[in-house]
Amino acid sequence: MDFNLNEDQSAVHDAMSTLLARHAGPLRLRELGGDEPTYDHELERHLEAAGFLDLAGHGSTNRLDAALVQEAISLALGTVATSSRLLIAPSLPEAIKGPVSVIAAGHRGPARFAADAVALIVIGDHEVRFVAPPPAPVERVVSRLGWPVGQLDDVPHGDVMIDVDPAEVLAWARIAIAIELVGAMRFATDMAVGYVTERKQFNRALGSFQAVQHGLAECAVAVEGARWLSLEAAHNGTPEAAAAALTHAIQATKVVFPRTHQYCGAMGFTQEFDLHLATMRVVALRAEGEALGRPGMALARQRWASLSS
Amino acid sequence: MEFGWDDEHSGYRTELVSFLNEELPDHWHGETAILGSEANTKYSRRFAGLLAERGWLTPHWPVDFGGFDASPWMLAVLGEELWSRGEPRGPQYMNANWIGPSIMANGTPEQQARYLPPISRGDVIWCQGFSEPDAGTDLASLRTRAERDGDVYIVNGTKIWTSYGDVAEHCYLLVRTNPDAESHRGITVLLVDMPTPGLQVSTIPGVVGDHSFNELIFTDVRIPVANRLGDENEGWTVVREALSYERVGSPRWARAAFMLNETIEVATADGRTIDPIAIEAIGIAKAACEAARVLSYRVIDERARNIPPSPNGNLARVAMVQAERLVAEACLAIDAGHTLTYRSPSNYQFRKSLAAGVAAGAYEVQLNLISRLHLGLPKG
Repeated sequence: MDFNLNEDQSAVHDAMSTLLARHAGPLRLRELGGDEPTYDHELERHLEAAGFLDLAGHGSTNRLDAALVQEAISLALGTVATSSRLLIAPSLPEAIKGPVSVIAAGHRGPARFAADAVALIVIGDHEVRFVAPPPAPVERVVSRLGWPVGQLDDVPHGDVMIDVDPAEVLAWARIAIAIELVGAMRFATDMAVGYVTERKQFNRALGSFQAVQHGLAECAVAVEGARWLSLEAAHNGTPEAAAAALTHAIQATKVVFPRTHQYCGAMGFTQEFDLHLATMRVVALRAEGEALGRPGMALARQRWASLSS
Repeated sequence: MEFGWDDEHSGYRTELVSFLNEELPDHWHGETAILGSEANTKYSRRFAGLLAERGWLTPHWPVDFGGFDASPWMLAVLGEELWSRGEPRGPQYMNANWIGPSIMANGTPEQQARYLPPISRGDVIWCQGFSEPDAGTDLASLRTRAERDGDVYIVNGTKIWTSYGDVAEHCYLLVRTNPDAESHRGITVLLVDMPTPGLQVSTIPGVVGDHSFNELIFTDVRIPVANRLGDENEGWTVVREALSYERVGSPRWARAAFMLNETIEVATADGRTIDPIAIEAIGIAKAACEAARVLSYRVIDERARNIPPSPNGNLARVAMVQAERLVAEACLAIDAGHTLTYRSPSNYQFRKSLAAGVAAGAYEVQLNLISRLHLGLPKG
């Protein structure tokens, strides 16, 4: 048990910070379209070239290093579908090159990255299917939630992946969303803390009022809880840990989304202020997470078999 | 960064679990498993003795005092497994975790020889004489007065909300020895034997379950100066040091998870249907317990590395309170009308969750510390 980065993790963290400072962040997201962005192929190329997208070996159960990379990408508001490559792909027989869209079997409608994907990964109860290429043309959907979204009306059956455990893939898909949520929620909380420290009303910083302090302290507890639970889940890789991490991350959004906006006041309603670039993403990620089989109910049923009957 | 258990600690957990499966009586459910109940406190004397025989009551104590210098992680495993069963050590976990260590760090050889062996044998109950009618969350404003008269202190004042005051043999008492000093200064720790002439203990029935509080009224109680722990007027430092890790020393998340399990098992055994709304609430509550667990582990990791206490302890404590409350919500969702029965798991957990944000440091004080020390927000 060690809550500090080891030497290798620190080196990756530092190199990632340099790369992301140059090729990601809110300014880059605005170049891509802000809350309605296009896919960032350039960032993906840089991450690929630096070797950051294949940190977890095939079949590995410990994907913590990959999770740390994804957390950094999400904190820097990267517009890339790397969480599936970093965290889900090691459970699949074939390598994933390029963006994929991950959906639950039976899903019809808007899906993140569907218009940019080279393949769909369809997670069912009994099998995982690989749909490549995805149905074309996939129309883009305007969501204004910070991601490129495409409309999936008719998903071809694709190929059933052999020797793939759907429960394992679902677990990693849940961990992937939880980690992405953590990155976006950290961005939002940091922004709100910065804003209330600077902004003065009644001749004092907003952040000196106890009501605001308590609200943000509860945001910090929510984000830290979700963060460490998600990182632990990425280390241990069990379905129960995955469901717990995503359940808690989704609960954290219910604190972080309304409060960060509330404390940033009218500034938070404006496009010129970066807060919405993270919080709108949180909404989309939460919706995607809930669509992965209701993680809260799944956790209860995994832990207590009697609840499944 | 990694989150695995090494062989030593996972081996200890296995050994401990099989000991608990063997030793805890068949009726280890319901009242006996409820910390603070009369049955639990009574049973703790037998159980703590059994632990002591194996060296597991005070494993973290130094060898010189009968422990074996066990790591903070071993102590964490012990606490987690015991709170996951409703804490069969009863009130004695306090003795082992911080009263004993406080006496080791600050006590005279005579005090150590007198007070430590009964604690390590599992044979004694202590209470904490901290809160007063006008000094609760603002503990440093306490007024119970101790005046020096030769080689005794004469103590006058009232302590209140004192758990186990009715059954304890000793009290770890905070008194004011210098009324003119600034609040934190002028406080002294006295080790009081109970009963003692002039000390009147009366029970205050509680609403948080079987657990009751006590009022301790001191009228000209004579306490030998030899019973002072640490230097006069330095009590605040002594007690702050003793309690610095206590925010996660009681893994309340583990007890909350235990109560959630009890509620589900009782409902299932009764053949009741648990509906989807309750199932969702169970998942949310269970995830909150897990989050409190991992945040507590982070504090234990700091302790294992001898890093001074940080606001991570406050984050963990807040997460524990939230978990206790969410478990209460889930238990009510599961039990619905069955909550009407006193001592049903859900009835109990709902009461217990009331105390969660008050006992061991007010929730709001934790939030104040997080906003200042963790988020760096400006002072009001």
